[in-house]
Amino acid sequence: MSTITVTVNGKAHTSTVEPRTLLVHYLREHLNLTGTHIGCDTSQCGACVVHVDGKSIKACTVLAVQVDGASVTTIEGLAPAGELHPLQEGFWECHGLQCGYCTPGMIMAAADLLQQNPNPSDDEVRHGLEGNLCRCTGYHNIVRAVQYAAAKMRGDEVTA
Amino acid sequence: MIGASLPRPDAVGKVTGATAYPGDLVRAGMAHLAVVYAGRPHARIRHIDTSAARALPGVLAVLTAADVPFNRFGLIDADAPVLCDDVVRYVGDRVALVVADDPASARAATALVRVDYEDLPLVGDVHAALHPDAPLLHPHRPGNIVHRLQIRRGDPDRGFAEADIVLSETFRTSWQEHAFLQPEAGVAWVDDDGRIVVETAGQWLHEDRRQIAAMLRLPEDRVVVRYAAIGGAFGGREDLGVQHLLALAAWVCRRHVALVWRRDESMATRHKRHPFTIETRWGARRDGTITAVAARLLADGGAYASTSQEVVKIATLFATGCYEVANVALEGLALYTNNVPSGAFRGFGSPQAQFASESMVTRLARALGIDPVEMRRRNLYREGSIEPSGEPLPPGVSVRACLDAVVDELARQPQSAPPAGWRRGWGVACGIKNVGYSFGYPEQATATVELSGADVIERAVVRTGVADVGQGSHLAMRQIAAAALGLALGQVHLISDDSAATPDAGSASASRLTLVAGRAVHDAALAALARWHDEERPACATVQFRPRATTPLAAADGAGRPNYCYGYTAQALEVDVDPATGACRVVTIISAHDVGRAINRQQVEGQIEGALAQALGYALMEEFQMRDGQVRTAGFSTYLLPTALDMAPRIIPLILEHADDQGPFGARGMSEMPLVPFAPALAAAIHDATGAWLSRQPMTPERVRAAVRRATAGEEQP
Repeated sequence: MSTITVTVNGKAHTSTVEPRTLLVHYLREHLNLTGTHIGCDTSQCGACVVHVDGKSIKACTVLAVQVDGASVTTIEGLAPAGELHPLQEGFWECHGLQCGYCTPGMIMAAADLLQQNPNPSDDEVRHGLEGNLCRCTGYHNIVRAVQYAAAKMRGDEVTA
Repeated sequence: MIGASLPRPDAVGKVTGATAYPGDLVRAGMAHLAVVYAGRPHARIRHIDTSAARALPGVLAVLTAADVPFNRFGLIDADAPVLCDDVVRYVGDRVALVVADDPASARAATALVRVDYEDLPLVGDVHAALHPDAPLLHPHRPGNIVHRLQIRRGDPDRGFAEADIVLSETFRTSWQEHAFLQPEAGVAWVDDDGRIVVETAGQWLHEDRRQIAAMLRLPEDRVVVRYAAIGGAFGGREDLGVQHLLALAAWVCRRHVALVWRRDESMATRHKRHPFTIETRWGARRDGTITAVAARLLADGGAYASTSQEVVKIATLFATGCYEVANVALEGLALYTNNVPSGAFRGFGSPQAQFASESMVTRLARALGIDPVEMRRRNLYREGSIEPSGEPLPPGVSVRACLDAVVDELARQPQSAPPAGWRRGWGVACGIKNVGYSFGYPEQATATVELSGADVIERAVVRTGVADVGQGSHLAMRQIAAAALGLALGQVHLISDDSAATPDAGSASASRLTLVAGRAVHDAALAALARWHDEERPACATVQFRPRATTPLAAADGAGRPNYCYGYTAQALEVDVDPATGACRVVTIISAHDVGRAINRQQVEGQIEGALAQALGYALMEEFQMRDGQVRTAGFSTYLLPTALDMAPRIIPLILEHADDQGPFGARGMSEMPLVPFAPALAAAIHDATGAWLSRQPMTPERVRAAVRRATAGEEQP
C-alpha cells in the first residue's frame, strides 16, 4: 500500500491506496466523487477526464500514486459551490447533453481547450474533443455549448 | 409550452456530476457480483466444480443453474437460461455467478470455477444454420428458425414480365453495437417488506419486473424495479442485462449486492443490431413505375430469440421501402446461430431493409435515366396507399412532403469544391418506420394525474412509468401535462422511475413514448381537470390509452394491419470521396422529418442529430465482428465510433408538423427515423461522386476503394 497526499477540488486528502489503483477509481471509490465516469476501460471514451495541475487527462490512464502531491480538479470542483461554470451553463442552455454520461469528461476536456485557445473555430473545438465520445447528441450541440462558454468567458454577448 | 425549446431540468445534475447513474449506487458493505461466461460458442456442460471458487477468501457464494427458481428469460420467448444448465450457445452465455465481499475477490473467483465442456459443432452464420445437417441450437425449433414469414401481393411473375428493366442485387449489413456510454450496472436487495428491489437502468420498468418475478417465481408486487439516471439505451437495454443477475443474487444471498460491468462484458455479451443478407429483385417500366419487388431477407438472430421475430417482420414489411408496389413476393427469415444474440436497436430492422430498397430505387432511376428524386415521386406512398400486407396505410402519409422539403433545401445549398483529388457527390433517400408496437402486440400506456390546491390548481402530480434514456421523455411528459392543464412547468411533478409507484407506460422503444404515453398523460390530465371542476379535492384520474388495434400478419400471404402509425423521413447527403484511399467525409446532412407536432423542438433536433451520428457510424465505420463464434471487437479500440471529427460539420434538420390523429397535440414519434435513409443516401452519394455502387455496409475505405476500382475498370471496358 502507498500513502499519497492529493489536493482534490481545493481540499487536501491523505489516503492509503494500492499501487495499482487508477486515479479514476481513487476519485470514485475513495473520495466518492462519482461525477467522473468510467465508460470504456481502455482510454477511448474520455468520460473520466479530470484536470491534474490544470491540464486535462483521462483518469483511467494515470495511477493514483502518480498524482501524489498534485492538484486535481473534477467536475464537482470546476465551479464554486452553487454556481455553474460557463461550460456547464453552455451544455445546459445549448442542449449539449442527453443521457449526460459523457458530459463531465466532455466539459473538463473543453475547459482545458478553452484555457489554451479562448477563441477556437468550430473545427478546433472538434479537434480538441476528438478524444471524447458521445453516443447521444451527434456533437453538434456540444460544439455550440463550447462556443457559448468561449464567448461568455471572453466577455462577448452569448446566445444559446 | 408545446413546441417550446425548454431547457432540461435534469441537465443541472448532469453538468455538475451530481446525477447518480447505476454505477454510482455502489456503497461500502455491499457484496459484489462477477459473472462466469462460457467463453466458447457451443458446448455441452458436463460438470461444474465451484469448490475452489467457494474456498477463496471473501467469496460468499457461487450460484449456478440449480439456484435459479425458473431458469429462463426473454422479452418475447423465454428461451435464454439465466445461468446455463446443459448447453452454452454463445461466448457470452452465463454459467455461474460469484458473490463476494469485494469486486477483486469476485473476479478472482470466476477463474476458479471449473467447467468441464464437451464442444459441439459450431453454427457460425445463417448459411450454416440453414444447412440440412446443421445441429439444432434449440431442439424445439426445427431448421434453427426463430421466425419465418412471407408477404405476397398481386402477381409478382406478371409484375416482372411487365417491367422494362429488372435489377437484382444482394445487400449485406453488419452487426451494430449500441455503445451507450454507461456500461450496465446496478444494485439490489431484499427490503423490510420482503420485496426484491433492483435499482439499475433499463427501458421498461414493468417488463423488467415481469421477467424478474417470473425467474424468482414471485408475484409481481414482490418485485420493485427502479431506474437511476440511464446512460443511453438505443434498444440495447431492452433485453435483461444485469437486472435479473442482481435480483437472483440478492434474493438467494439476502444481501445488498452490486454489479458493475466492464465495457468488454457489455460488448461481448449483449444483443446487437441484426446483420442481414438481403437478396432482392426490382422491376420497373420505362416511365419509372415500379412493377414488382421480390426479396429474401436473412437475419442472424444469434443464440437466443430476443426480439428477432419482430425485427424480421418489420424488415420484411419494409422490403419495398415507402413505395407502393402492386406485385410483391417477400420472405423473411431469422435464424439461430452461435453468435451474440441480435435484438432491438434504434430502427428495428428498418435501416437494413431500406438500405436495400432505397439503393434499388436509385439504381433503377440511374439505369432508366430518370432523376432519382423524380423516380421516387412516381412511386412514393401517398394517403390511402396499400401496404404490402394489403391494407391502406394509417392516415398521415407525409413522405412526399419530407422529400419536397429536402429538395427545396438542396436547391439553397451553396456550391463549393471538394479538397484536391477528392470527388464530391450528393445522394437522396427516403424512409419509413413504424411508431409503436406492431402485429397485434398489446399496445397501451397508462398515466395517473392528481391535481391539488386550494382555490386554484397549484400542483399536478403525474405518474407514469416512462424511462428517460437521455432522449428527454420526462420533460416531454411534463410539457404535455402542463399544456393540457394550463399550468407552468414547475407546477407539474413527474413520478416515473419506480415500478411500484407508477402505472405501466410500456417501453422506451419504437419511437412510441411521446405518442402513446404522452397521450395517456394528456388524457389523464383532462380527466383529472374535469373532476377538479366537479369539486373533487384532490382531483385524480387514471387513463389507459390504447391506439388503433393492429393485427398479426396472415401466415399464407402476410395480410393484415401491421401498424397504427408511421413516421416518415427524407434525407440528402453531401459526401466527399477520396478515390485513392476510399475514405468518405460526410460534409452536409439535410434531414427532414414529419414529427406531427414537436413537443420540445430542441429535443427533437437533438434526437435527429444524435441518430444521424449513429447512422453515420453504421454506414461508414462501425463493424462489430465475430469469427468462429468469438467476438473480435469487444472494446472501443477495435470497434470504432464516430467522434466529433467524423460527424458531418453541417446538419440541417427540417421539422414538418402534419398533425397525427392519435398523438397528443398531434405529435408522432421520430427518434429512430433519421437512421433509416442514411446508408442508402450515402451509397447514392458515393455513386454520384465516383460511379461506384456499394452494397455492403459499413462502407469502409477498403470497400469503397475496391468498388471505385471495379467501377473504373468497368468504364474502361468497351
